[in-house]
Amino acid sequence: MTETFTIQIDRAEGSLQRLIGLIERRGFHIDRMTLADTGAHREVRLAIRPRDNSRSCDVLGRQIDRLIGVRRIAPAPASNAFAEEASVCPA
Amino acid sequence: MTAASPLPKAAAAPATGARLLVETLEALGVEVVFGYPGGAIMPVYDALTAARFKHVLVRHEQAAAFAADAYARVTGKCGVCLATSGPGATNLVTGIANAMMDSVPMVAITGNVASPLMGTDAFQEIDILGVTLPIVKHSWIVRDPNDIPAILQEAFYTATSGRPGPVLIDLPKDVQVSAAAAPRDFNPPLEQTRRIDPAQLRRAESAIGAAERPLLYIGGGVRIANAVEDVRAFAEATGIPAVSTLQGLGVLGPDWPGHLGMLGMHGLRAANEAVQQSDLLIVLGARFDDRATGKLTEFAPHARIIHIDVDAAEIDKLRHAHVPITGDLKTVLAALKPRKPAIETWRAQCEAAIAAHAFDYNAPGDGVYAPALLNALSQAAGDAFVAACDVGQHQMWAAQHCRFASPSAHLTSGGLGAMGYGLPAGIGAKLARPDAHVVTISGDGSFAMNIQELATLRRYNIPLKIVLLDNSMLGLVRQWQELFFEQNYSEVDLSDNPDFASVATAFGIEAFRITKREDVEAGIARLLAAPGPCLAHVLINPMENVWPLVPPGKSNTEMMHGAAR
Ligand SMILES: Cc1ncc(C[n+]2csc(CCOP(=O)(O)OP(=O)(O)O)c2C)c(N)n1
Repeated sequence: MTETFTIQIDRAEGSLQRLIGLIERRGFHIDRMTLADTGAHREVRLAIRPRDNSRSCDVLGRQIDRLIGVRRIAPAPASNAFAEEASVCPA
Repeated sequence: MTAASPLPKAAAAPATGARLLVETLEALGVEVVFGYPGGAIMPVYDALTAARFKHVLVRHEQAAAFAADAYARVTGKCGVCLATSGPGATNLVTGIANAMMDSVPMVAITGNVASPLMGTDAFQEIDILGVTLPIVKHSWIVRDPNDIPAILQEAFYTATSGRPGPVLIDLPKDVQVSAAAAPRDFNPPLEQTRRIDPAQLRRAESAIGAAERPLLYIGGGVRIANAVEDVRAFAEATGIPAVSTLQGLGVLGPDWPGHLGMLGMHGLRAANEAVQQSDLLIVLGARFDDRATGKLTEFAPHARIIHIDVDAAEIDKLRHAHVPITGDLKTVLAALKPRKPAIETWRAQCEAAIAAHAFDYNAPGDGVYAPALLNALSQAAGDAFVAACDVGQHQMWAAQHCRFASPSAHLTSGGLGAMGYGLPAGIGAKLARPDAHVVTISGDGSFAMNIQELATLRRYNIPLKIVLLDNSMLGLVRQWQELFFEQNYSEVDLSDNPDFASVATAFGIEAFRITKREDVEAGIARLLAAPGPCLAHVLINPMENVWPLVPPGKSNTEMMHGAAR
């Protein structure tokens, strides 16, 4: 049930809170998370899991996408799964 | 958003942040700001005395946000409200949430403590950006006065573009007083006309052409997209019957043949039944809200769905769309050319249902029957009628029984359902449309929530009319207790209300009372003819109920009906 997204967000005040708050409010657990600086933007990788089976990751993806300050959102390829040591936020 | 006049550039002596804020608001064409001063926003209020726009001093910041919201709904422009830090900012919160839930463009500007004090629990410091994160489309803390023009321009652009919504700008006090030597502008992104998927358009056309029982499901998005005429033309050309949500009322008038009226919890039986029978729902700027759908899994069980919305995140959120179309409604409707479906039987069936389930305005006794009064009020005011409703039974009666010439003639807190909206919304609407018959329709519970705004009416002599339907009850809650909590009436009695006519008079507002049915007609005439603000205090039966009603959580097929009391 877990899906991983890679999301580019502006390096703006509040942008990380905005993203994480949205995901939890819309009914998803955040199991893993990393944050990296890519120069112009920040890149967030998140492993998320719906709280119940009425929640769709597709719809969540579009809700994230419409946030102002989100530049790009893409499902992360399976081969790019989280390395244990990269997890800053274990479940 | 294009600026109404050139944006301010750094003058010989650089302007302060506060000055720059005022000048940028002027340049953006702002005509009215609703607000309330306090310590952390004082530099802005200092600069306001020279402003070319009007500032309306409300008596509670919540009213500033509600008035800005209604101003925006009526004009289609961005509403602006202004408050100090801490309690001023938190008082805006309900109004910001209201604008978010109903997709209303609004810019809320708050002062905050000076930047070095932020994060130290300073006097009147609240993290208002954090508090409002879930209820804004976007927000900013201004860190550099040079950013003020750019952030304001971006804020107006963000609030009004795409699916509109409220935005918040938090302005620390040091940023307001420091000089801006090199202010920068914001360059709005080039409007990308999002390509509407032609394959989906063709699928929609064939679904419409082949449908036997198609139905338009009209929502608030139609007004927001400025597509009222387009929807009317589409309904006329295709002959497809329609139902409306609370926010969709007025798109097709009540006299529109084939308009079945409001669907949902307090919708008409004809509308709810048509939805249940339909084989194709064409959803125009609506979002399957639970008050409209009832039990979702039993909603429109036979219908395929064409969902048209500017917000891609609404598609499939609650109900799967067989044909999803993301895009501006006007553009979509212009591109949609279905052949006229052969639905004469279905249309005849809908028209018969409309006639069979029409409202009955006969009620026992000689007391005032609120549905009849509201119907008569809207007829008397005609096409110039604009209702600013509060929340409760009176709100549902207004939706059911008033005639609205357009959706912006019906201002109602739909998504949030916030009591206290009516009076400040009436103020915002009347300032936006001085020519209209703007009437606040309130209940005795709701009215008390922003009753202090009678002072605002008096101060600016705003000729708003108020119909206060006083049942000495929190009526809608009482009705639910009667029906779903075994008449265990708990904390709904307001029989010790003040005499509202005297209260209004004390504020300097003309007021009179209507207690009998025979006085209604003259009362409406007096109210509408009054040159200044005027309140009609209407006493109604405390035990009156709103019918029909779908019990919460039930399917829209399970409508309850009852008699007028
Ligand atoms: C701010 C707020 N608090 C509580 C409610 C819950 N509520 C919904 S309707 C209602 C009663 C409204 O009473 P009144 O304004 O007198 O209208 P009536 O139903 O009697 O017409 C209440 C308490 C609400 N919608 N908004």
